[in-house]
Amino acid sequence: MSDEESTKWVRVSTDRLRRVTRRDLLKLTAAGAAGATLAGVERLTGPYIVHAQPRELRIMTWSHFVPAFDAWFDPFARAWGTSKNIRVTVDHVSFADIVPRATAEVAAQQGHDCYFFIAPPSQFEPQVLDLADINQEAERRYGPLVPFVRNSVYNPHTRKYFGFSDNWVPDPGDYLKSVWANVGYVNGPRTWDDLITAGQRIKQRHPEIQIPIGIGFSQDIDSNMATRAIMWSFGSSVQDRNSNVVLNSEETVKAVEYGVRLFREVMSPAVLSWNAASNNLALNARQTSYILNSISAYRSAQAQGLPVANDIFFTPALRGPARAQVATHVMGVWVIWRFSRAPDLAKEFLLHFLDNQRDAIMASRLYNFPSYWGSVADRDVPVAQKPEAGRRWIRSRVFQDPFGSLPPDKLKVLADSERWSTNVGFPGTANPAEGEIFDTYVITDMFAKAATGQLSPKAAVEEADRRVKEIFAKWRRAGLVGGGRDR
Amino acid sequence: MALPREARRPFSTSVAPLRRRTLADREDWLGRLMLAPALVYVVALVGVPFALALALAFSSARSGSLEFSWVGLRNFWTILPDPQFHRALWNTLRFTLVSQALVIVLAVTAAHVLSAAFVGRRLVRFLLLLPWAAPVALAAIGWTWIFDSTFSVINWTMLWLGLTKRWLYWFGEPQLATAAIIIVHVWRMFPFATVITLAGMSAIPQEISEAAVIDGAGFWRRFFQVNLPLLLPIITVAVLFGVVFTSTDLSVVYLLTRGGPYNSTHVLSSLAFQRGIFGGDLGQGAAVALFLLPVLVVVAILMLRTARRAEVGA
Repeated sequence: MSDEESTKWVRVSTDRLRRVTRRDLLKLTAAGAAGATLAGVERLTGPYIVHAQPRELRIMTWSHFVPAFDAWFDPFARAWGTSKNIRVTVDHVSFADIVPRATAEVAAQQGHDCYFFIAPPSQFEPQVLDLADINQEAERRYGPLVPFVRNSVYNPHTRKYFGFSDNWVPDPGDYLKSVWANVGYVNGPRTWDDLITAGQRIKQRHPEIQIPIGIGFSQDIDSNMATRAIMWSFGSSVQDRNSNVVLNSEETVKAVEYGVRLFREVMSPAVLSWNAASNNLALNARQTSYILNSISAYRSAQAQGLPVANDIFFTPALRGPARAQVATHVMGVWVIWRFSRAPDLAKEFLLHFLDNQRDAIMASRLYNFPSYWGSVADRDVPVAQKPEAGRRWIRSRVFQDPFGSLPPDKLKVLADSERWSTNVGFPGTANPAEGEIFDTYVITDMFAKAATGQLSPKAAVEEADRRVKEIFAKWRRAGLVGGGRDR
Repeated sequence: MALPREARRPFSTSVAPLRRRTLADREDWLGRLMLAPALVYVVALVGVPFALALALAFSSARSGSLEFSWVGLRNFWTILPDPQFHRALWNTLRFTLVSQALVIVLAVTAAHVLSAAFVGRRLVRFLLLLPWAAPVALAAIGWTWIFDSTFSVINWTMLWLGLTKRWLYWFGEPQLATAAIIIVHVWRMFPFATVITLAGMSAIPQEISEAAVIDGAGFWRRFFQVNLPLLLPIITVAVLFGVVFTSTDLSVVYLLTRGGPYNSTHVLSSLAFQRGIFGGDLGQGAAVALFLLPVLVVVAILMLRTARRAEVGA
């Protein structure tokens, strides 16, 4: 036997009771794997009974700021599924994780069938279905969509309905009545100047209040809304009606100068680190006297039985030199992904959900407002009269809050909230450029840098303007934003 | 000549049968096969994402689209003059260096204390390890409350003790926010470094220390001229791990300050996340994140060399 052959042939022991060797282990593993595979093949190829695949709808929504809503929504969705013999899965995600999770689903091209956002998800437009059909069907059933809601779900540049909205949320001012009455403002502030005038008095008379006025200049959603409200009230905006950038203006500089006064005279550096819960907590702990928020702070105080709940009252949008305008606190937008496995079921569910808006709004404790006023009207009202009937229904509820407000008409300022609310992107529509500016905090940075003296108001506006123009240019190259005649 | 009876017996009856050599006998291929799962794991979970990040950095990829257009160096030219990027790069370096310097001092001190015999030593060691075991997200939320600008328990305590006369806005002022981030990094990395240092100390032969004592060396002399030089290789390993964990960490900054106030505390990873995921510009986000690469390559080489030296020394 040659040496070469000896490398190919080896002697093996005939001892059957030997220790297990590495070779044996490999043999056993291979045999086991082969057996398992064959068993699997048997299962796949063998005779079996074919069942019809159960239909399934997978829904992703947020963890609502009013937890009672989720307690209603989940069984509601499942009950609809049961009635249609469909399995419905509802998953919840924290508001901060909505966009990252959606990004992951798009990258993986799988996930949920319909996905809920709390701000217009216009950057996802290429990956969502055109929902013109259900938007039109909803209008056929309930009358027109609220105009600023349309601006949040429809891209006029691409002529696509990238979303479907069932609700939006008003963003009134929340104030402590006892404190404001003590400084001569029984009904709270009505103008942005009131915040400074009364804030100074509050600072003197209520040293126990750490932050007399609690308007965030931070990297959070509430600050984004608040700083835009200041800009719009001073006649400024990021873009015009036709998506041209108009940020660098005299009006913006004046708005920022007002922000500087507000920060230095009646606020504290705490507002530079405001997060989504900060203003609620500060108001409920009586550490601030005014916040710009939804009614969630008040509902939390009610739910926890805090005495401060009786002292919290509401004001409409504050008036500035140009107008009184705030952004909606939440703009609820559903999308259906292109990769959805059940797009028709998703559409059917969303229309069914819209058909039950009264229950949804009550489940949210009047936090949600309907995107189609007609969706909360009595069912037997003719379509043409539904929007007005819906407005009347909402009015009746906010004037007689069924959730134990004292006085019962505490929420009455919300009855007119459609008039002083608008969409991010005002006076134009929501678009991916506005979305990126919102999510990378360009505007709140502009206010904060001027407020802290890092930059002068004019320099802060110029810096923000450069960033805004870069972002718009990028999204225009992608074909998702119009305009181009920037100032 | 006739052979004896035993000699005529067939050869095969007393010798095991021959069979073909299998994979189990081929060490070269078997080694590769055994290594394959680990390689597949590294390639799939590190190599592919890294290659994807490289590709993204040179593309106009967006979060809401699957389009992948080549844009060359445009993303890099966009971020290079960006003051936010400069700030994030500087923050990454200083958060890492300052926190690791503090970690070394604290870890060596704690290791010396914990190597001494005292009642409750096991309990103290257990408590010391807790920060390392706690999920960073959970810990950061706890720290968020501790440093809250309105309700900070540290502020209340310091005011009560008369250590400060003004309210400290930990996340509202860039310097304080920086300090808060460094404190959390130190808190998180210090147990790991302590345990490693402790292990290193226990490996120092007792007779060396005893010889130093006999020669009249005091505590500081023994510490600086005997123990510390012997501990240096193992401390280096701890520091290098700390540098990697701290410089690549997203969660501490993201959960504590979200990069604020006014984007002044971003590190490269949090800025990349903000631009890439929230801003929807995956290309730019990837370009920002890639700036960590040269730093991490150097650190990785140092780690490997140090580990090898420690191995040879052992």
